Amino acid sequence: MASSSGNDDDLTIPRAAINKMIKETLPNVRVANDARELVVNCCTEFIHLVSSEANEICNKSEKKTISPEHVINALESLGFGSYITEVKDVLQECKSVALKRRKASSRLENLGIPEEELLRQQQELFAKARQQQAELAQQEWLQMQQAAEQAHMAATSASAGQQAGSSQDEDDDDDICL
Amino acid sequence: MKMSANTADKDNNVSTNKNISLPISRVRLIMKSSPDVSNINQEALFLTTKATELFVQYLAVSSFNNGSGKGSKSLSYSDLASTAEENDTFHFLTDILPKKILAGDYLKTLEQIEDEEADI
Repeated sequence: MASSSGNDDDLTIPRAAINKMIKETLPNVRVANDARELVVNCCTEFIHLVSSEANEICNKSEKKTISPEHVINALESLGFGSYITEVKDVLQECKSVALKRRKASSRLENLGIPEEELLRQQQELFAKARQQQAELAQQEWLQMQQAAEQAHMAATSASAGQQAGSSQDEDDDDDICL
Repeated sequence: MKMSANTADKDNNVSTNKNISLPISRVRLIMKSSPDVSNINQEALFLTTKATELFVQYLAVSSFNNGSGKGSKSLSYSDLASTAEENDTFHFLTDILPKKILAGDYLKTLEQIEDEEADI
């Protein structure tokens, strides 16, 4: 559904989003497929209309970026002035959401710990981790050694026992138990 | 500081808030494909997206109310086309919604044109 061609003119709002809106706006109404397709294209057309108008207004104001004011004026001049109140409400909502996000991220930044202290703590943590790793590795090495020794002892005693004969088994068993 | 708000919103471009259902990034792409449009402020983008949603709702409802399918609870292509013709604010749509003609009529018209050319 997403346009994979590089052609800008093929850009449209995804069909699914439009279908959902139509369903919510006209519940229980059967909408023909070609009608839906048409709505998708009307959307694109509307966006172009508003962007061009807003762009013109922007150019006249000698600013380089289309601002909310430009869009609002464009809507007014195109005859969609009735949308302005509702559209402005959404803007407020978006602003407050963005503001909350900024507050949340700055709360993390402002724990009050200066950077050098943070670095020091980090180094400490790394050193600790390295030490733990080393201890763990040493333990594993010791265990491996012990296991190898046991295996070796078992092997040597077993062959010695075989040479001496079965009566020696009990004594040999005592030697093997470490 | 505005940058972080922008990037965060780009990631959740559909519904960070329940008020917008259209994908904001797609709206931006369409706006930028308009000739000469350079930069769009993030808030201006929200406004345009919301306005587009209102437009869809308005188009759907007007077409349905004025259309022939109201009784049978249906909405057809021609309902939309009629509304666009009758409603001044929708005149910008007439380019993209030619009233559909039946294939049979089209073929007849073609034949007529061919006949006329043959006579010349």
